[in-house]
Amino acid sequence: MGISDLSVFQALKTKMQWHQERQQVLSENVANADTPGYIGRDLKAPTFSDSLNRSGVKPVTLAVTEPGHMHASSSRGLGDPRKVGSFEVTPDDNSVVLEEQMMKVTSNQMDYQAAATLYSRGLGMIKTAIGKS
Amino acid sequence: MDFMKSLMIAASGLKAQSGRMRVIAENIANADSIGRTPNEDPYRRKIATFQSKLDRELDAKTVQLGRIQEDRSDFKTRYEPGNPAADENGNVRLPNVDTLIETVDMREAQRSYEANLNVIQSTRRMLQRTIDILRA
Repeated sequence: MGISDLSVFQALKTKMQWHQERQQVLSENVANADTPGYIGRDLKAPTFSDSLNRSGVKPVTLAVTEPGHMHASSSRGLGDPRKVGSFEVTPDDNSVVLEEQMMKVTSNQMDYQAAATLYSRGLGMIKTAIGKS
Repeated sequence: MDFMKSLMIAASGLKAQSGRMRVIAENIANADSIGRTPNEDPYRRKIATFQSKLDRELDAKTVQLGRIQEDRSDFKTRYEPGNPAADENGNVRLPNVDTLIETVDMREAQRSYEANLNVIQSTRRMLQRTIDILRA
Protein backbone atom coordinates (compact mmCIF):
# COMPACT_ATOMS: atom_id res chain seq x y z
CA MET A 1 0.00 0.00 0.00
CA GLY A 2 1.46 3.33 -1.02
CA ILE A 3 1.07 6.45 1.03
CA SER A 4 -1.09 8.07 -1.63
CA ASP A 5 -3.63 5.25 -1.26
CA LEU A 6 -4.63 6.64 2.12
CA SER A 7 -7.70 8.78 1.67
CA VAL A 8 -6.29 11.68 3.70
CA PHE A 9 -3.26 12.00 1.47
CA GLN A 10 -5.30 11.55 -1.66
CA ALA A 11 -7.67 14.35 -0.65
CA LEU A 12 -4.77 16.63 0.27
CA LYS A 13 -3.03 15.84 -2.97
CA THR A 14 -6.11 16.82 -4.96
CA LYS A 15 -6.42 20.02 -2.98
CA MET A 16 -2.78 20.92 -3.53
CA GLN A 17 -3.07 20.22 -7.24
CA TRP A 18 -6.10 22.47 -7.44
CA HIS A 19 -4.28 25.31 -5.69
CA GLN A 20 -1.32 24.84 -8.00
CA GLU A 21 -3.53 25.23 -11.06
CA ARG A 22 -5.33 28.16 -9.53
CA GLN A 23 -2.02 29.89 -8.92
CA GLN A 24 -1.29 29.53 -12.62
CA VAL A 25 -4.63 31.02 -13.64
CA LEU A 26 -4.18 33.90 -11.18
CA SER A 27 -0.68 34.64 -12.43
CA GLU A 28 -2.09 34.78 -15.96
CA ASN A 29 -4.60 37.35 -14.73
CA VAL A 30 -1.95 39.50 -13.06
CA ALA A 31 0.40 39.32 -16.05
CA ASN A 32 -2.43 40.43 -18.34
CA ALA A 33 -3.67 43.15 -15.98
CA ASP A 34 -3.02 45.83 -18.61
CA THR A 35 -3.89 43.91 -21.77
CA PRO A 36 -6.89 45.38 -23.59
CA GLY A 37 -9.81 42.99 -23.92
CA TYR A 38 -8.55 40.46 -21.40
CA ILE A 39 -11.24 38.98 -19.14
CA GLY A 40 -10.08 37.71 -15.75
CA ARG A 41 -10.50 34.00 -15.04
CA ASP A 42 -10.64 31.76 -12.01
CA LEU A 43 -11.04 28.07 -11.22
CA LYS A 44 -14.28 26.67 -9.90
CA ALA A 45 -13.86 25.50 -6.33
CA PRO A 46 -14.05 21.70 -6.09
CA THR A 47 -17.12 20.38 -4.31
CA PHE A 48 -17.56 17.28 -2.21
CA SER A 49 -19.63 15.49 -4.86
CA ASP A 50 -16.90 16.19 -7.44
CA SER A 51 -14.32 14.41 -5.34
CA LEU A 52 -16.74 11.52 -4.79
CA ASN A 53 -17.19 11.14 -8.53
CA ARG A 54 -13.49 11.34 -9.22
CA SER A 55 -12.46 8.72 -6.72
CA GLY A 56 -13.69 5.75 -8.74
CA VAL A 57 -13.67 6.59 -12.42
CA LYS A 58 -10.62 7.64 -14.38
CA PRO A 59 -11.01 10.50 -16.87
CA VAL A 60 -10.99 9.60 -20.55
CA THR A 61 -7.73 10.40 -22.33
CA LEU A 62 -6.55 10.10 -25.90
CA ALA A 63 -4.75 6.88 -26.74
CA VAL A 64 -1.24 7.22 -28.21
CA THR A 65 -0.69 4.50 -30.83
CA GLU A 66 2.16 6.09 -32.80
CA PRO A 67 5.25 7.72 -31.37
CA GLY A 68 4.54 10.87 -33.40
CA HIS A 69 1.14 11.44 -31.80
CA MET A 70 0.69 14.42 -29.58
CA HIS A 71 0.00 13.77 -25.94
CA ALA A 72 -3.24 15.34 -24.94
CA SER A 73 -2.38 17.15 -21.75
CA SER A 74 -4.67 16.36 -18.87
CA SER A 75 -3.32 19.08 -16.64
CA ARG A 76 -6.69 20.80 -16.59
CA GLY A 77 -8.36 17.89 -14.90
CA LEU A 78 -9.50 19.84 -11.86
CA GLY A 79 -12.04 22.23 -13.25
CA ASP A 80 -11.94 24.57 -16.22
CA PRO A 81 -10.72 28.10 -15.85
CA ARG A 82 -13.80 30.18 -16.30
CA LYS A 83 -14.41 33.84 -16.82
CA VAL A 84 -15.53 35.59 -13.68
CA GLY A 85 -17.24 38.88 -13.04
CA SER A 86 -15.29 41.49 -11.15
CA PHE A 87 -15.70 44.88 -9.55
CA GLU A 88 -15.07 46.91 -12.65
CA VAL A 89 -14.21 46.76 -16.31
CA THR A 90 -11.85 49.39 -17.71
CA PRO A 91 -12.69 51.28 -20.93
CA ASP A 92 -10.36 48.96 -22.87
CA ASP A 93 -12.44 45.92 -21.76
CA ASN A 94 -10.01 44.59 -19.20
CA SER A 95 -11.71 43.15 -16.14
CA VAL A 96 -8.68 42.40 -13.95
CA VAL A 97 -8.60 44.30 -10.67
CA LEU A 98 -5.15 43.97 -9.15
CA GLU A 99 -6.31 44.28 -5.54
CA GLU A 100 -8.82 41.48 -6.01
CA GLN A 101 -6.19 39.30 -7.63
CA MET A 102 -3.75 39.96 -4.79
CA MET A 103 -6.38 38.83 -2.29
CA LYS A 104 -6.97 35.66 -4.29
CA VAL A 105 -3.25 34.95 -4.60
CA THR A 106 -2.77 35.39 -0.86
CA SER A 107 -5.69 33.20 0.12
CA ASN A 108 -4.60 30.59 -2.41
CA GLN A 109 -1.14 30.58 -0.91
CA MET A 110 -2.45 30.27 2.64
CA ASP A 111 -4.78 27.41 1.77
CA TYR A 112 -1.96 25.64 -0.01
CA GLN A 113 0.29 26.05 3.00
CA ALA A 114 -2.42 24.68 5.25
CA ALA A 115 -2.78 21.62 3.04
CA ALA A 116 0.99 21.14 2.88
CA THR A 117 1.26 21.40 6.66
CA LEU A 118 -1.54 18.86 7.11
CA TYR A 119 0.25 16.58 4.69
CA SER A 120 3.48 16.68 6.65
CA ARG A 121 1.57 16.20 9.91
CA GLY A 122 0.00 13.10 8.39
CA LEU A 123 3.43 11.84 7.45
CA GLY A 124 4.54 12.48 11.02
CA MET A 125 1.68 10.35 12.33
CA ILE A 126 2.73 7.50 10.05
CA LYS A 127 6.29 7.85 11.30
CA THR A 128 5.00 7.63 14.86
CA ALA A 129 3.04 4.52 13.96
CA ILE A 130 6.09 2.75 12.57
CA GLY A 131 8.10 3.74 15.60
CA LYS A 132 10.43 6.40 14.24
CA SER A 133 9.60 9.26 16.60
CA MET B 1 5.28 21.63 -13.18
CA ASP B 2 2.57 24.17 -12.60
CA PHE B 3 4.48 26.35 -10.16
CA MET B 4 7.20 26.85 -12.73
CA LYS B 5 4.51 27.82 -15.23
CA SER B 6 3.16 30.40 -12.79
CA LEU B 7 6.64 31.82 -12.38
CA MET B 8 7.16 32.01 -16.14
CA ILE B 9 3.83 33.76 -16.68
CA ALA B 10 4.58 36.30 -13.97
CA ALA B 11 8.03 36.82 -15.49
CA SER B 12 6.40 37.64 -18.83
CA GLY B 13 4.37 40.27 -16.99
CA LEU B 14 7.53 41.71 -15.45
CA LYS B 15 9.19 41.90 -18.84
CA ALA B 16 6.21 43.60 -20.48
CA GLN B 17 5.94 46.18 -17.69
CA SER B 18 9.64 46.97 -17.79
CA GLY B 19 9.35 47.45 -21.56
CA ARG B 20 6.54 49.90 -20.93
CA MET B 21 8.76 51.68 -18.40
CA ARG B 22 11.43 51.99 -21.09
CA VAL B 23 8.97 53.69 -23.45
CA ILE B 24 7.87 56.07 -20.69
CA ALA B 25 11.50 56.90 -19.89
CA GLU B 26 12.05 57.65 -23.58
CA ASN B 27 9.08 60.02 -23.58
CA ILE B 28 10.20 61.87 -20.47
CA ALA B 29 13.80 62.13 -21.67
CA ASN B 30 12.64 63.60 -24.96
CA ALA B 31 10.06 65.96 -23.47
CA ASP B 32 12.06 68.95 -24.76
CA SER B 33 13.48 67.53 -27.99
CA ILE B 34 12.50 69.98 -30.72
CA GLY B 35 13.55 70.01 -34.35
CA ARG B 36 16.59 71.93 -35.55
CA THR B 37 14.77 73.65 -38.41
CA PRO B 38 11.14 74.87 -38.71
CA ASN B 39 10.35 71.96 -41.05
CA GLU B 40 11.70 69.23 -38.80
CA ASP B 41 9.12 67.60 -36.52
CA PRO B 42 9.78 67.56 -32.79
CA TYR B 43 9.74 64.28 -30.85
CA ARG B 44 6.42 62.47 -31.06
CA ARG B 45 5.19 60.71 -27.93
CA LYS B 46 5.26 56.90 -28.04
CA ILE B 47 2.68 54.59 -26.53
CA ALA B 48 3.41 51.01 -25.40
CA THR B 49 0.66 48.47 -26.12
CA PHE B 50 0.12 45.07 -24.58
CA GLN B 51 -1.19 41.92 -26.12
CA SER B 52 -1.77 38.55 -24.60
CA LYS B 53 -0.23 35.63 -26.39
CA LEU B 54 -0.92 31.93 -26.01
CA ASP B 55 2.34 30.25 -25.05
CA ARG B 56 2.01 26.73 -26.43
CA GLU B 57 4.76 25.34 -24.27
CA LEU B 58 3.19 26.64 -21.08
CA ASP B 59 -0.40 26.18 -22.33
CA ALA B 60 -1.20 29.56 -20.83
CA LYS B 61 -1.73 33.16 -21.85
CA THR B 62 1.40 35.18 -21.31
CA VAL B 63 1.66 38.89 -22.00
CA GLN B 64 4.03 40.62 -24.36
CA LEU B 65 4.70 44.12 -25.56
CA GLY B 66 2.85 44.82 -28.79
CA ARG B 67 3.82 47.31 -31.48
CA ILE B 68 4.94 50.64 -30.06
CA GLN B 69 2.64 53.22 -31.53
CA GLU B 70 2.90 56.95 -31.88
CA ASP B 71 0.60 59.44 -30.27
CA ARG B 72 -1.22 61.21 -33.12
CA SER B 73 -2.24 64.24 -31.07
CA ASP B 74 -1.11 67.74 -32.07
CA PHE B 75 2.19 69.24 -31.05
CA LYS B 76 2.22 72.02 -28.52
CA THR B 77 3.45 75.42 -29.66
CA ARG B 78 5.28 78.20 -27.90
CA TYR B 79 6.02 81.73 -29.08
CA GLU B 80 9.80 82.08 -29.22
CA PRO B 81 10.98 84.04 -32.29
CA GLY B 82 14.70 83.75 -31.51
CA ASN B 83 14.69 79.96 -31.64
CA PRO B 84 16.23 78.44 -34.80
CA ALA B 85 13.26 76.09 -35.04
CA ALA B 86 10.69 78.91 -35.01
CA ASP B 87 8.46 79.32 -38.08
CA GLU B 88 7.70 82.67 -39.78
CA ASN B 89 5.21 83.62 -37.06
CA GLY B 90 7.75 82.97 -34.32
CA ASN B 91 6.14 79.79 -33.00
CA VAL B 92 8.19 76.75 -31.99
CA ARG B 93 6.56 73.33 -32.13
CA LEU B 94 7.18 71.29 -28.97
CA PRO B 95 6.79 67.51 -28.43
CA ASN B 96 3.30 66.32 -27.48
CA VAL B 97 4.64 64.85 -24.23
CA ASP B 98 2.88 65.75 -21.01
CA THR B 99 5.18 64.86 -18.12
CA LEU B 100 2.22 64.65 -15.75
CA ILE B 101 0.61 61.93 -17.87
CA GLU B 102 3.92 60.12 -18.14
CA THR B 103 4.39 60.23 -14.37
CA VAL B 104 0.96 58.75 -13.75
CA ASP B 105 1.60 56.10 -16.39
CA MET B 106 4.89 55.30 -14.71
CA ARG B 107 3.15 54.78 -11.37
CA GLU B 108 0.70 52.40 -13.01
CA ALA B 109 3.52 50.41 -14.60
CA GLN B 110 5.24 50.25 -11.23
CA ARG B 111 2.09 49.01 -9.53
CA SER B 112 1.60 46.26 -12.10
CA TYR B 113 5.24 45.29 -11.81
CA GLU B 114 4.90 44.96 -8.06
CA ALA B 115 1.78 42.85 -8.46
CA ASN B 116 3.70 40.42 -10.65
CA LEU B 117 6.53 40.33 -8.13
CA ASN B 118 3.97 39.56 -5.46
CA VAL B 119 2.73 36.55 -7.43
CA ILE B 120 6.29 35.31 -7.81
CA GLN B 121 6.92 35.64 -4.08
CA SER B 122 3.73 33.84 -3.21
CA THR B 123 4.46 31.03 -5.66
CA ARG B 124 7.94 30.67 -4.22
CA ARG B 125 6.53 30.33 -0.73
CA MET B 126 4.19 27.59 -1.92
CA LEU B 127 7.10 25.79 -3.56
CA GLN B 128 9.09 26.14 -0.37
CA ARG B 129 6.26 24.57 1.59
CA THR B 130 6.19 21.65 -0.79
CA ILE B 131 9.89 21.09 -0.23
CA ASP B 132 9.31 21.33 3.54
CA ILE B 133 7.14 18.19 3.32
CA LEU B 134 10.31 16.29 2.49
CA ARG B 135 12.08 17.64 5.55
CA ALA B 136 9.32 16.84 8.02
